[in-house]
Amino acid sequence: MRRLLQTAAASVWLAVAVHPAAAETFVWPLPAWMPPPVVPGDNAMTAAKVDLGRHLFYDARLSADGTVACVSCHVQERAFTDGRPTSVGIDGTTGHLNAPSLANAAYLPVLTWANPHMTTLEFQALVPLFGEAPVEMGGAGREVEIFARLAADPYYATAFAAAFPERPQPDLFTVTRALAAFQRSIVSVASPYDRFKYGGQSDALSEAAQRGEQLFFDHRLECYHCHSGIHFTNNLKTIRTSTGGGEAGYHNTGLHDPYPDAAPGLIEITGREADAGRFRTPSLRNVALTAPYMHDGSIPDLRGVLEHYARGGRAGSHPQKDGMIVGFEVSPREVDDLIAFLESLKDETLIHNPALADPWPEDHPARARRVMP
Amino acid sequence: MKLHLVAALAVLSSTPALADMRVSIPFAAEIGGKAFSCSETYAGLGSTGAEVKAVDFRLFVSNAALVRKDGTLQPITLDQDGQWQTGSTALIDFEDASGGCTNGTKALNTTLRGIVPAGEYQGLSFTVGVPFEINHGDPTLAPAPLNTTAMFWNWQGGYKFVRIDMVPTDRKEDGPKGWFLHLGSTQCDAASKTESPKACKNGNRIDVQLDSFRPDGSTVVIDPAPVVAGADLRVNAPETSPGCMAFPKDPDCMTVMTKLGLPYMDVAAGPQALVSLR
Repeated sequence: MRRLLQTAAASVWLAVAVHPAAAETFVWPLPAWMPPPVVPGDNAMTAAKVDLGRHLFYDARLSADGTVACVSCHVQERAFTDGRPTSVGIDGTTGHLNAPSLANAAYLPVLTWANPHMTTLEFQALVPLFGEAPVEMGGAGREVEIFARLAADPYYATAFAAAFPERPQPDLFTVTRALAAFQRSIVSVASPYDRFKYGGQSDALSEAAQRGEQLFFDHRLECYHCHSGIHFTNNLKTIRTSTGGGEAGYHNTGLHDPYPDAAPGLIEITGREADAGRFRTPSLRNVALTAPYMHDGSIPDLRGVLEHYARGGRAGSHPQKDGMIVGFEVSPREVDDLIAFLESLKDETLIHNPALADPWPEDHPARARRVMP
Repeated sequence: MKLHLVAALAVLSSTPALADMRVSIPFAAEIGGKAFSCSETYAGLGSTGAEVKAVDFRLFVSNAALVRKDGTLQPITLDQDGQWQTGSTALIDFEDASGGCTNGTKALNTTLRGIVPAGEYQGLSFTVGVPFEINHGDPTLAPAPLNTTAMFWNWQGGYKFVRIDMVPTDRKEDGPKGWFLHLGSTQCDAASKTESPKACKNGNRIDVQLDSFRPDGSTVVIDPAPVVAGADLRVNAPETSPGCMAFPKDPDCMTVMTKLGLPYMDVAAGPQALVSLR
């Protein structure tokens, strides 16, 4: 039965991938065991809107100087991260935070590393587009020029009308809605671990990965207390979530003491001392593709991350350090097993899905001057 | 830039609006007493006497009221012009996108326009800032001028209330990009993750009282020079935003916020020095 469902889901995926704009209604490329994410009432998913959002996502003309697109920090091959410790905006402006993966961002009740106000992808899009502390795409004050630039492109002339028949032009509303719709379509639930756990394929995981799974969910290591649930993060909201806002976990992992003022954690927004150093738990799906790690990219590889937690945090004495960061002892073989398990969360269909790939030809103005990491 | 300094004041002729009086309150932007322009340079600013170019000069004002002779307030009903004024909030915009004002707009807005009941008034009060009730909405749905991206501050919550951007003319190649005065609410906590903020620890709205205001001749002058008098405009504390953007723990703000009439860290609020009357 599970196999049957999976086959059905796979064929749905195929239909979406092959004919992205053919269907008016969007079909979630999800297996039956995965409930769809919540979609805001003013931004229903349609294939036309997702396709428009994909073009915008890869279009560097959205930035002030035409050099930075969303993809400049969120690359498909890296599960929509950029491989840098912290991201770089226009004029080489360096930010203070590591670009998080966009895979399954639709399921997050709150976006970014440490801002409780970023509750929708629509609202969050304003930060890279118009943010000035730090500058990312540098669009503040340039919106008229940027939207005019888009409107002049023959693709957008028809794509905005197809996606927003009532409001067929690039503006703050349509651009943020389309970008959010595309990002919601970036779902990743087809890893070897998913085949093993939900697809009934007992041989989908190596024996090392299976031993690693047991360690991951063991009380000695406590990994799963924060990296819990279907996306390996205690941040989850689906259409089946009954608890209003969904679950949102932030933790101080003892990474610094004190945390630098440039990235102090949730306290930056809430002003509560208890929120010092608290950052949102990232999903571990595709974690093998998203190095370097932590909110500030300060640990280069998974072994380093495991060492950090085994030591009970780099800065063992931070008063706000989460109670679950207690430290543990692991053998080198156990570390190998854990890493095999973490690598089994890598979803090859995510990084090769043509429906999520760059739609622009190489010499197109959308990407001619685009800087990639 | 020559600002029109005449306060238009007229009694409307038709009834029942007979009792209404139209007010148009002129605002002027200056830096160190010299009229603001996107192509001008201004010398002798801050603690080290820096010379700067100014590349942006905008602010939100709200809840404007005239003061009656008995000291009570008469709120001004702003014209809802679909561009600069919405509800009780107006964007005052002195930059015209020329010269160094590359992120600006051509259009200027240098008056506050509305209606009050006819009467004798002897003072003006207003707030520099966007009222809390509309400060935390979705800017992609907000009416003009709350859709002005240069005034977005939504990564902190709300809008920039004041944006005065200065760039030292002798800045080092690898030095700070400029000295920017951005004011907005900070540390806005919410009861839950699905609600707008309930309150901000630092609202950072400036209450302005101008006692000798005359509706037929006074001009409201905005000048950042006294506000930044104690700051070195050529340097920026490492790992902080360029200039003072009101974020807690920014050494560049220590001498500045108090002169905006606001408390900051352990420095108490002083009298506001940004707004005066002429």
